[in-house]
Amino acid sequence: MPDKRIVITGIGPISSIGIGKDKLWQGILQQRTNLKLEKCTLDGEIWDQFYFHKVENFDISDFGIDKDKLNDIKEWKEGEEIIDLNYLIAAIKLALDDSGLEYNRKDNNISLVLAHENLGLMPFGFKVSDLAYEMLINKRKKDISKKVFFDKFYRAFLKSGYDIQTFADLFHIARVFNIHNYSLFINNACASGLYAIEAASQIIRNNQAKAVIIAASDYPDIYKYLWFHELGIYSPDGMVRPFCKDSNGLVFGDGGAAIAIEDLEHARKRKAQIYAEYLGGGFDLEGWKITVPQIGGNSYQKAISKALKNSGIDKEKIDFLCPHGVGSQPIDYYEAKAITDVFETNQKKPLISTFKPYVGHNLGGSALLEAAILLLALKNGIVPATLNYDKPDPKFNISLVKTEIKSKLNIIMKTCCAFAGFNAAAVFKKID
Amino acid sequence: MPEEMLDKLKQELIELVANVTGRDTKELKPDANFWKDLGVDSIKAIEISVAIERKFKVSIRDEQIPQITTIAEALKVLKEALEKKNKV
Repeated sequence: MPDKRIVITGIGPISSIGIGKDKLWQGILQQRTNLKLEKCTLDGEIWDQFYFHKVENFDISDFGIDKDKLNDIKEWKEGEEIIDLNYLIAAIKLALDDSGLEYNRKDNNISLVLAHENLGLMPFGFKVSDLAYEMLINKRKKDISKKVFFDKFYRAFLKSGYDIQTFADLFHIARVFNIHNYSLFINNACASGLYAIEAASQIIRNNQAKAVIIAASDYPDIYKYLWFHELGIYSPDGMVRPFCKDSNGLVFGDGGAAIAIEDLEHARKRKAQIYAEYLGGGFDLEGWKITVPQIGGNSYQKAISKALKNSGIDKEKIDFLCPHGVGSQPIDYYEAKAITDVFETNQKKPLISTFKPYVGHNLGGSALLEAAILLLALKNGIVPATLNYDKPDPKFNISLVKTEIKSKLNIIMKTCCAFAGFNAAAVFKKID
Repeated sequence: MPEEMLDKLKQELIELVANVTGRDTKELKPDANFWKDLGVDSIKAIEISVAIERKFKVSIRDEQIPQITTIAEALKVLKEALEKKNKV
């Protein structure tokens, strides 16, 4: 029996320039951004501040999701609204509605794959810091035994600490959408979205489900900012300038995305709209450092080549490629070298454009959010311009699309080089 | 680590950095800052780390990579990595 063919039938993005596929695509065409300066204050004192692409006017109650189930989640989270969890739920609702899949019954034969890096980090971090501060103040007044101190810590973080384990969020979200099939939580850093698409397609190919909803999101909080800032890869002026002379780092982006995938036969039977076929992915784990790519290595080249091989596609056929394009000199250099190495002998080079200048770096959600934008580009036959691409640096030996191009796109590729050396590429093809 | 061994490592590091950056070994004074004085960027800094790891068969921690800004700093990081390796 031939392999099942996997197609994308639903898209649900949440981004700083629009919630839902139509508003997001409109934002891309209008070259809009929504960059804000986030100030983190503690008792009125600014701790730190950073620019990021912010989602505004988001309210989970606007999406027509079962209120009782949302309240159950809120109760479990001790009244706390976990923003990136809500992004996942809202994105899934949008993608499911877009796909027309009937999920509101127990035998819906849909699976769930979530891709995220660290849901709930912010409340946990703040609770730990708050209590430590309180204990420090108290300690000045009276002695506290180590046993009392540790017990108080344990009681205070029982819920938010355990909640960093992701299975509970898989439970909550599956429950909201009546999903009872084989489901997974994926964390491969920024490449999570592409790993999730591959895992989800294997679920269908292995007959574990007819359809899979894949969702990813991230909320750029102060703890994540501090980490990236200290690594020296966060843009101080909030401008993402991929592959440019004046690239000075990445900028976070709020939001996430969900896509629904299913077996082609299943999609055709129910006359679903089809955005594209997922032809295959390529993955390589560099295994050198967690936060630094190995300049001069060939792991990323391998991931891209594997994606081409697994898709059965000649590299000449790639019309449009969307790289990670973070706007950090070493990462851009590493990425440009890999792309150039793979495609240098092409008669026809793929058009290249990046979306981070529009929506920022959505971290664990970035690959899926950008894959969603890429699928909208494929559908509309438009390669969006790369914003802020004003001073291309010849050392990158790569050329990006500066002004929007209308083109009959057929095959597209999303690539990503993530922390820990999770290098990934995925190929999608239009279906007539 | 004996002095003569450190001197030998320093000389090897100077040659390695000269090779990666395309600079003359004479320009690589122990405290010359690669970034400020020699125009080394964050890309070359990673290449220097990759070359040190390959040549001396050691592992440099992520956070040490940006610290390698002079020959003196590179020697410090290398010495620590060699000592760690010999301990295991």
